Amino acid sequence: MKMEDRIIMTIQSVLDKRPVITLDSHLLEDLRVDSLDKLMILSALEDEFAITISEDDFADVVTIKDIVMKLKGRGFFAGGTAPI
Amino acid sequence: MDLRDFYSRLSVDESLAEVMGYNPYYQKIDSGLNARILVNGHEMIDLASNNYLGLAADNRVKQAAMEAIKKYGVSLCGTPIATGYIDLFQRLEKKLSHFVGLEETIILPSCYQANNGLFNCIAGPKDLIIVDRLVHSSLIEGIKSTGSKIRPFLHNNLEHLEGILQRSIGYRQVFVVTESVFSTEGSIAPFKEIVQLCEKYEAMPIIDDSHGIGVLGKSGRGILEEQRIAGYRGIYTASLGKAIANSGGMISGEKKLINYLKYYCSHLVYSTALTPAVLAGISEVLDIIHSEFSEIKEKLINKQRQIYKALLEGGFKVVSSEAPINSIQTGSKEATFILNRKLYEKGILSTPFIEPAVPINEGRVRLIASVSLSQDTVDEAVAIIKRIGHS
Repeated sequence: MKMEDRIIMTIQSVLDKRPVITLDSHLLEDLRVDSLDKLMILSALEDEFAITISEDDFADVVTIKDIVMKLKGRGFFAGGTAPI
Repeated sequence: MDLRDFYSRLSVDESLAEVMGYNPYYQKIDSGLNARILVNGHEMIDLASNNYLGLAADNRVKQAAMEAIKKYGVSLCGTPIATGYIDLFQRLEKKLSHFVGLEETIILPSCYQANNGLFNCIAGPKDLIIVDRLVHSSLIEGIKSTGSKIRPFLHNNLEHLEGILQRSIGYRQVFVVTESVFSTEGSIAPFKEIVQLCEKYEAMPIIDDSHGIGVLGKSGRGILEEQRIAGYRGIYTASLGKAIANSGGMISGEKKLINYLKYYCSHLVYSTALTPAVLAGISEVLDIIHSEFSEIKEKLINKQRQIYKALLEGGFKVVSSEAPINSIQTGSKEATFILNRKLYEKGILSTPFIEPAVPINEGRVRLIASVSLSQDTVDEAVAIIKRIGHS
């Protein structure tokens, strides 16, 4: 599974009442994510990819794509794949 | 600092109230919580207060408060650690401990302070706090003040909670925080199972029983009695301003914890103690619950069901509640305000919940039918609700 799909699937698992999630989904406008939802998303991503995420590092994310870019930018997924 | 800049930053977003031509907050109440209340000079039906058992204006409670004022005056003008710890205070601590079935108790000026003050006494940056997604903001603010790692779990979802607990390795302490009755939904936590999970994964359970104390359990002792949780070794907080019909908050638990909080919980140590009238009022309410609970509870459930049935017949989307709360799913904040205003205009005071009190677009209008409502009043409320629903 592509890393982007894994991220979307992971986020979907903790936002069970929300519309379909795509890379272009806005956290606030489309998914109505509030601060606790955001914490749940970060926790779920930590579990899924066995990484540690600082809340501050993700303070400025707006879309799902931003989350993907942040994770890639932090070198969590060199070459676009999740660490084994 | 430019004072004009300072004050210009303190603007309140009142756009919704302006668009709606209606502000549901800070309505002026001109009476006590009687069968009818006066709101802005108009007689109305109170389906908004948390006066579940109808004891806030009970004559016996009023009398007990007045007797306490006669004996002690209106205040001891000191914190509990100084001059505020009167015999009435000490007796009430013991009475509340006995009531909920825990070793010891401290009494604070509000449950907001209890929940805010508790966490930074017991948790820090090396700890993990796992918290139900829908808990009250007083718990969230208390939790955030600790610097602990915070992991919310899906509302009342034991599978999600256990998954997080399984992966909670390497922390100094792990806490699991929830409420007994979620007041915007009326849902009840599966707390017995949560306590069992805490035992399995060596976590400390913390429960806020604000909407459960005086309501749940066969004798009104709250969530621990309701779910037959024996030998609870976790932490318990509750409001004394809802079914207990006074004001204040409590933290109960093992002696070692409570003794620690008595000296290190700033919200207790630096706050003026609850007044004698309130202490006596709480004590009297506990006596009434002790002798009359089953009769009062029957009335409470009866009134809640009448309102619930009316809401269904009126076509409202009502959350199915296990607690004596009727919660209408209204969605957007605009729709929430509109329904709240319609009820207000027809003579019913209700409680609107919009973000951030609830998740975005999950607005609610809550109706609580107190035992203090007469049958005539309930009949009128039922008729109004049906009319609004069919309009």
